[in-house]
Amino acid sequence: MNKKILICDDEESIRLLLTETLKDYYTITEAADGHEALKLITKENFDLLIIDIKMPGTHGLEAIERIRERNQEIPIIICSAYRLMEDDIIVKTSDVNAFITKPIDIKQLKMKVAEVIGS
Amino acid sequence: MVIIIKNMNKKILLSLRFVLIFATIMVLNYSHNGLNVLSPGYTLALIYLLSNLILFFIPEKTLNRNIASFSIFLFDILTISLAIYFSQGAQTDLYLVYFLVIFMASVGQNMNGSIPIAIVACLIYGWIIYRANPGISLLDSRILIRIPFLFMIALFSSYWSQSTRRELKKKEELERFNRELEKEVARVVAEEIELRQYSEKIINCVSSGVIAIRDDGVITTLNPEALRVFDLTTDAVGFNINQYEFLFPLWEKMQATVASQSTVARDEITLKIQSREVPIGFSLSPISGATGRFSGCVAIFKDLSEIRALEQQLKHAEQLGYIGKMASWVAHEIRNPLTAIDGFAQLLETTVDHDKIMKYSSEIHKGSQRISYIIEDILAFARTKRKIEYMEVDLKKIIESIAKSMPNIKINVSGILSPVCQGESESLRRIFINLISNSAEAIDENGQIWIDFKEAEGHIITEIRDNGSGISDEDLKKMFTPFFTRKQRGTGLGLSIVIKILKEHGGRIEIDSKKGLGTTCRVFIPTNATRETVNNKKEEM
Repeated sequence: MNKKILICDDEESIRLLLTETLKDYYTITEAADGHEALKLITKENFDLLIIDIKMPGTHGLEAIERIRERNQEIPIIICSAYRLMEDDIIVKTSDVNAFITKPIDIKQLKMKVAEVIGS
Repeated sequence: MVIIIKNMNKKILLSLRFVLIFATIMVLNYSHNGLNVLSPGYTLALIYLLSNLILFFIPEKTLNRNIASFSIFLFDILTISLAIYFSQGAQTDLYLVYFLVIFMASVGQNMNGSIPIAIVACLIYGWIIYRANPGISLLDSRILIRIPFLFMIALFSSYWSQSTRRELKKKEELERFNRELEKEVARVVAEEIELRQYSEKIINCVSSGVIAIRDDGVITTLNPEALRVFDLTTDAVGFNINQYEFLFPLWEKMQATVASQSTVARDEITLKIQSREVPIGFSLSPISGATGRFSGCVAIFKDLSEIRALEQQLKHAEQLGYIGKMASWVAHEIRNPLTAIDGFAQLLETTVDHDKIMKYSSEIHKGSQRISYIIEDILAFARTKRKIEYMEVDLKKIIESIAKSMPNIKINVSGILSPVCQGESESLRRIFINLISNSAEAIDENGQIWIDFKEAEGHIITEIRDNGSGISDEDLKKMFTPFFTRKQRGTGLGLSIVIKILKEHGGRIEIDSKKGLGTTCRVFIPTNATRETVNNKKEEM
């Protein structure tokens, strides 16, 4: 059975890109913001969360914190235009498993996902 | 003699009496009987001398009393009369001593004192003469000349002493008055100095510059701040303004103020002080003195150099901040569509599936469109003033075409049939696209938009009303700030662009909103905007 990935990005085109890249190997669910992602995660189990950290409404980092409060297990990949050093984004490294920066390298994305998800 | 009268004190009285006693003794000595120890004249002289020694111990205050001095002079008269009697000297010159006593009495007591003394002296002397020469005729020279003479001496000397006394009194009063006047003058001068120092202190501690110039151009006041700003020394006070050419612009304004006799609350000029341009903010008030001696004008001013420099810095910082904000916004806005374009291009490389190729190409197109839309917004926002190609524009047609492109939104159009104004069709279209999109995003599935046209005071008023979520008061304040957005897909430039276009057209916008009830925008566009009026309005903005 395919592993399940939850993609959370406010930009529709980015969600579509990630889905198109990964849908042949995994079962993909999309969320348009952190709030929606949180709702979905409490309802069903996912094997991986790919999330943008700059989103209107619930900020990505806040969403990660809340998700971790409920689910310690789920691997998380941050996919963002932020470069960590440049933008002083403080992420607890224990909370996340990998970073992907935008623009996205498709091959690297596939590799990182495979690495984290372990398949 | 004046001094003696003025200070008819104990010492002088005693001294004069010694002279009197001495004269009496001398006359007794050279009299017919002579002066020997056994004669009564000798005892009399001794008593007389003793009396003077006793007086020496009597306090001056007591002696100065009228009754006391009158008694003393009476005693003198009696003593001298006795001396004449004892010396059998009605024929001698002893009667001359009477003159001395009468004179002393006049000096010490004035007429009230000297006349009675003179009367007593006359009576006693008359009696003595009568005793010595019984049956003497009244026409005898000793009675006819000596006695009236005693009276005359009493009258003259007391008149003289009284008038001298009066003059003295007058002089004393005058002197006292002078002393008081001097004191008063000194007090007024001291007060004046204190007052002047006080006002000087006030003027000197004012942090603004103060300069006062008289009508004739003479500088009368310069406080330390004025000296600092004008780079002058205190010597400048008292000089004519003509010597300080750099102050002419200020002097001209001051003269105008004097001429109109009206104050200037706030004005600004730039003075060239030591080849440095110094902006000065000032207020002017005419001074009108009662005598006109000090009438002129006073200027209170501030050196604005520092404020201007700070303003410049702030403006610069603001501009930099603005550019930084713009740059980060552009980077962020463009990165997402760029990521999509780049990603789908990579995916294109990996597929030959026709459907996928179509889908990916379409996404790439969408991303490019998004970027071009962002660039358009930036350009529209950053565009400098430009000439508008004026044409007749039917706003109703624009609205209808926008409504057609939003089939899911219920838009109700009402009002005048042909709301025609002058303007640039595409720019005006952009205004309404932005505003209607805002409304469309604010409403839910039950929401509606009402658009109404009116014409009033040379404007077409387009009212766009929705029953959407409305705007909070806090957000309403920030509405027109560039890059402020409450929307997920907003650039934050929409309303800034609307305002910019409206300004170019000489129009304006009003926005009312209640959180939870909806928003109403009223757009005012001139119907017959001639280029001039538009240009004028542009200048105002």
